[in-house]
Amino acid sequence: MKDKSAFKKFLEIRGMGASLTAFIGLIIIYIAFGLINEKVFSGQNILNLLRSMSKYLLIGVGQSYVMITGNIDLSLGSLVGMSAMMVSTLMVGGVNPVAAILITLVCGVIIGILNGFLVGRFKLPPFIATLGTMFVARGIAYMVNNNRNTDNIGSRIGKGPADAFQQFFYYGKTFGVYNTFWIAVVLFILFFFLLSKTRSGRHIYAIGSNVEAAKLSGVNVFMTTVKAYVISSICAVVVGFFLSAQAGMGNMEAGNMYEMYGVAAGVIGGVSPLGGSGLLLGTFAGAAVWQTLENGLNMIGAQVGIQRIVIGVIVVLAVLVDVVIRSGKKIKKIKKA
Amino acid sequence: MKRKIVAMISCLALLTAAFTGCSNGSKGTAQTAANSTASEESAGSKEETKASGNIKIALITMDQIDQHWVKMNHGAQEEAKKKNVKVDFISPDTKDDSKQIECVNNAVANGYKAIMVAANGPDAISSALKDAKSAGVKIVYVDSPANVEAEATFSTNNAAAGKKAGEEMLKALKAKGTTKGNIGVVNVNAATQSCVDREKGFRSAFEGSEFKILDTQYCDGDASKAQSIAENYITQGVVGIFGAQEGSTTGTGNAVKASKNSGVIGVGFDSSDSIKDLINDGYLLCTMAQKPEIMGAKGVDACVDAINGKDLGGKVTDTGVTVLNKDNVDSAK
Repeated sequence: MKDKSAFKKFLEIRGMGASLTAFIGLIIIYIAFGLINEKVFSGQNILNLLRSMSKYLLIGVGQSYVMITGNIDLSLGSLVGMSAMMVSTLMVGGVNPVAAILITLVCGVIIGILNGFLVGRFKLPPFIATLGTMFVARGIAYMVNNNRNTDNIGSRIGKGPADAFQQFFYYGKTFGVYNTFWIAVVLFILFFFLLSKTRSGRHIYAIGSNVEAAKLSGVNVFMTTVKAYVISSICAVVVGFFLSAQAGMGNMEAGNMYEMYGVAAGVIGGVSPLGGSGLLLGTFAGAAVWQTLENGLNMIGAQVGIQRIVIGVIVVLAVLVDVVIRSGKKIKKIKKA
Repeated sequence: MKRKIVAMISCLALLTAAFTGCSNGSKGTAQTAANSTASEESAGSKEETKASGNIKIALITMDQIDQHWVKMNHGAQEEAKKKNVKVDFISPDTKDDSKQIECVNNAVANGYKAIMVAANGPDAISSALKDAKSAGVKIVYVDSPANVEAEATFSTNNAAAGKKAGEEMLKALKAKGTTKGNIGVVNVNAATQSCVDREKGFRSAFEGSEFKILDTQYCDGDASKAQSIAENYITQGVVGIFGAQEGSTTGTGNAVKASKNSGVIGVGFDSSDSIKDLINDGYLLCTMAQKPEIMGAKGVDACVDAINGKDLGGKVTDTGVTVLNKDNVDSAK
């Protein structure tokens, strides 16, 4: 066995190739936009980018966890809305921000556990199960404040606590960068560590690659499924906090379509929607690519229709490439055997 | 790995082709050819942007698709040409607080000197607008103000306009000899202040009469949803229906059309080609047409004045509504 250089070993980590490609793509796209409108390179724009990217990053991480297990979580967007409405309604009702955050977190996790049960225990197809919870969560979001968006979160608890909440989750900066980004990065590192270094993480990859083999090797498929859905629900709840802090109120439609953006971020970063592979590092790049595209197209004045088309094309291409490379690998394996 | 790099680069070529072909605004992008080598052309386009009028105004409305905003942009663009300033229409694709806030943030980062904004709601974008003000950007409200002090506001007095709509319906009902019955209201949602005000105004016109106005139903601006709601109202036997905004009005008119001779009187708000057709064909009695073009034009004037240092004192101007009915609908723009 020849001694490989550290760089080569780095490249051979499964999924690293895809992640690196996503990062390279990100840099190319960013530079291209910046050359057309120099303001894209401005400090303020970079700060904005990092902040708005955070929500896609978190949703992407959550959705990636579920995708790696071979499932999908369609309820993420509605969970974001439910979280934004709940935390805002609680604060408008006079509950202090910390308690509101905790209560909302618990409710979100309950939905995550529900998803885990439906898919892991009752074996419902994940698409159907989470489609159902998607409608239920959105319905809860509507009903939490009687079918209306909430008032300003500071109306009962006062401007002080409300400002603190908004500064913490959206408007405040630490070390010159918006808090939103730091929160997303901290959670990202936590979940990255969980996925790549712990046994639970390995189980998550295992049931995505080959659930029968995983079961036979003693992996608790049910618990692993639940864990993935709980992680995704936590991510969605935190993004709900971002949106609530951004607007200073709860919006019933918050988070609309976010589950799809999560899929896109993961897929562009090399997480296979078929399960079993992908690095969260790639999701980071995927979320960054997505946000840079959105931000860049906006900054150069492109019509919104174009934004949608471009993003759709890139997502399809990313999946296509993934499928092509997978079938290429299979053929290689068959030839070797 | 190689295949992925190729895929990425071809995406990029596609991307460059897509946005250079279709972006609006005179940023010299017409020069930028459909290649991924944007670097050579960019030098030329940068210079052009700086030269074409150094006042840049951003128009941020609730979405890019409603005819109301499209007309407002049109009015603003016409005025911009006259005053030799640049107005960029950078609204989100759908009505979404988070996206609107991002647009405001992007406008500030992009160096716009003034923002004309139609806020989705009075509160949501307030913090973002405050940040914009501290960055020295002038704010002018068009159509819907937010809770942050601005240079000026140009909007429709929605309560008064709603009342007018109610009065028109009352007149028509009296002329038919109907003095009591149920009236349905279709609105967009319970959160958009402008529409809520219109409804209040409409209801106030019926105070003291024997008509009962049913609980409002919401269509989220979707004309087909509005049509289903209106059709239900007609089945329940209402004598009149009020549509409080464009989608609601279109749906109401279509429902009356589908019901064939139900005798229901439809009154609406906002104007569009479909609404004008419905009035012409007699399915809608009239609609309160706002003047988005005037809001756009006056907004641009106010921005220019504010940028040049004039103190407008936050004046609120009612741009008014025109009652569009069968007699004058053809001559309307």
